[in-house]
Amino acid sequence: LIPLRVRIAGTGIICALGNGVEAVNQAIGADASGVGPLTRFTVSHDPALPVGACPDLTPNTQPNPTIALARIAADQAMADASHSPDAIVIGVTTGGMPLTETLLKQGSTTMDDYRLHGIGTVAEDLARRFDCQGPVLTVSTACSSGGCAIALAKTMILTGQYKRVLAGGADALCRLTYYGFRSLQLIDPEGSRPLDKDRRGMSVAEGAGMLLLEAADEDFDGIAVLGTGLSCDAHHPAQPHPDGKGALAAMRCALTQAGVAPNQIDYINLHGTGTVDNDRSETKAINQLFDDAPPSLSSIKGATGHSLAASGAIEAVVAVHAIEQGRVPANVGCRHIDPDLNVTPVETATRQPVETVLSNSFGFGGNNAAVVIGRNRPQGKRPDTGDVPRPPLCAIGWSTVTGAGFTDTTLEALVAGNASRGVLDTATLCQGLPPGVIRRIKRLSHMTLALLAQIQASEATPKPQSVYFGTGWGSLSGTNDFLTNLYESDEKFSSPTDFIGSVHNAASGQVALMAQATGANLTLSGGDTSFEQALFSAQVLVDDEAPVLVVGADERHEKLSPLFDGSVALDASSSDGGGALLLQRSATPTGPTVELVHFSNGVTGDAHLQALIDRLGGAHAVTSRYGLIMAGIPAAHREAGEEQLDRFIGWCGFQGKVIDYRKLTGEFATASAVATVLAVFMAQAGQVPPPSAGTDGAAPGGVLMLGLGASLTAIEVKMP
Amino acid sequence: MQDTLLLDTLKVKVIEVLNLMNVKPEDIDPDEQLVGGRLGIDSIDVLELVIMMEKDYKLTIDNKELGAQVFGSLRSMANYILENAKESAN
Repeated sequence: LIPLRVRIAGTGIICALGNGVEAVNQAIGADASGVGPLTRFTVSHDPALPVGACPDLTPNTQPNPTIALARIAADQAMADASHSPDAIVIGVTTGGMPLTETLLKQGSTTMDDYRLHGIGTVAEDLARRFDCQGPVLTVSTACSSGGCAIALAKTMILTGQYKRVLAGGADALCRLTYYGFRSLQLIDPEGSRPLDKDRRGMSVAEGAGMLLLEAADEDFDGIAVLGTGLSCDAHHPAQPHPDGKGALAAMRCALTQAGVAPNQIDYINLHGTGTVDNDRSETKAINQLFDDAPPSLSSIKGATGHSLAASGAIEAVVAVHAIEQGRVPANVGCRHIDPDLNVTPVETATRQPVETVLSNSFGFGGNNAAVVIGRNRPQGKRPDTGDVPRPPLCAIGWSTVTGAGFTDTTLEALVAGNASRGVLDTATLCQGLPPGVIRRIKRLSHMTLALLAQIQASEATPKPQSVYFGTGWGSLSGTNDFLTNLYESDEKFSSPTDFIGSVHNAASGQVALMAQATGANLTLSGGDTSFEQALFSAQVLVDDEAPVLVVGADERHEKLSPLFDGSVALDASSSDGGGALLLQRSATPTGPTVELVHFSNGVTGDAHLQALIDRLGGAHAVTSRYGLIMAGIPAAHREAGEEQLDRFIGWCGFQGKVIDYRKLTGEFATASAVATVLAVFMAQAGQVPPPSAGTDGAAPGGVLMLGLGASLTAIEVKMP
Repeated sequence: MQDTLLLDTLKVKVIEVLNLMNVKPEDIDPDEQLVGGRLGIDSIDVLELVIMMEKDYKLTIDNKELGAQVFGSLRSMANYILENAKESAN
């Protein structure tokens, strides 16, 4: 049965205002601020800029500060839950960075020290904690991550395939974000003053917010995620559109989905960072949407600081309790309202009926998320998901880049069974890309733009409207260069350009800019399943026929890649690359269809292998449908992966061809993106062998892409 | 005041700091508008130049008004360096 509502069944929160709903509510009621002196680490300048630090957290908090914060909030959200979540979706930007940056400063080259570096480790930790065996996803869209995670989780429930999803965001204070925002001159030395005429920026902060979302009936009594809207400005890598164009689009979408008119919103929780540009563009968009007469509104970031990926989730939790308590929080920090903004924020926490709240989160890359949370209302229109099977995603364009070169040379090599290993030199990679763009971006963005440019080489190819990007490790060059400059100058100088380029979604933001893709722009990250996470998210969120670009790419960084990625460390040669698919839902597909049919993280036992075979329709279905299996076995899990593959083939009696593709592509987290492009190309070109069980030549063979090792994923590529 | 040597140095520095590929020092007119002009320099680039001024000339530029004045053109950058060097000499 397809659910009609997404109930908020549990909430958890830790932020600068306190630990737990009760402490935070009390602080909000007192118009308190948690922004204060920085004590977590020492800095080069005096005085240090104020931050929003969480109580009782230290750099040595185990297993690391970000995971510790996520656990605290998740335990609260799950306190009354009787079941494990079916899936977990967490927004994270810093992940293991608080520890990693210290280790790099100390010059540690011990791989094990960095085992919790990857931002996916936060969600994976929660999956183990709550025994979640389904998809475990990490959204990294900078400061909108928490909002985007809620949007994805909510839509997953509305597809009918997941009953309970734990969604939220977590981030911890670290030098990278502190010095990064400082280099951009976006930190207010007096503490964040949202909407103040003298505002000078944010206060960098930390925290975690978690929500247990559950499928519910149309008429349930309680509080729901009523609607969500995602958009991309496609305007600038780090600055909002001056008129808030993308913000307005996201808010409109969330309201439409929720089935509420602007005048039914009782309270707006602003993104309200306190930067000059954000507050101006956000209030412009709000005044346009609400005809210059918006309801009660405030930003809580003067009180909490800006906890980056956590903020959207923290503020969603605050929205829930604003409704439950009938009280709107004050716009703490603002002393002299900026008359140019034409809004009047809530001055002190005020009792008033609150039925429905709009909460905004915006981030680098022009990434916008708006969430409508409210008491369940009968008139709410649910988005068109699940009840009618959606047409498949059909590949209408593809490209790849590897050590062998661009699409044609890579595919030629791989089809012939030759390796595409290696690292393409920068000059070749950037051929034909605009010099004005590539001058300040680094290798990962060079790759995603080279992938886009190849697909867009033909003018007849439609432009993507939305972008889903998977990357195992993000921009290692940007991160390394930023920290290297910082440490080499005794923490005096750091590059704003490198900081902007260091966020995981920088490369997908560049794609959106070049393609003018103003729809959803999601970056997913979790080691070897990152491309699969991106494809999964596209399948969940794309509900119309607008073209969508699904990309997977990872760069080789001489120092960091082998430190972070165990498979890379085991590879004697260096490789990197990526693949992109331009997909479009079509009821009458003419090209290969691509579908992720199975996805479970961190669970690989026999029962799960059997579940995968069942999901595919049983052994006979596998042998009669597929002519080729492409197996992705990361070197770090070689033995286990080969065993899984042998078992799968044995149990199914599959006698067709198997390509162990990482032996050809070399080791990098998103090698599966290259392999999927290969599968699409072979399917289109009629080069997939017929199914081993034979179907009297009725249908051409499909390709089954298996992701093995520490997780189990399956993608089906076949001609319609 | 004209200081050709300083202007030439700044041309090279700006190209290097902002990674202005395909731009040669002689292509930059000392009086042309830097931000939002032909070279495609924006406010993020200005922040890189702020760091360069601090690193190489020990000059702190920490507000937008001053930044707009200093980074108007290559010549205004040179003038600011010369004036402030003079002040500190006095």
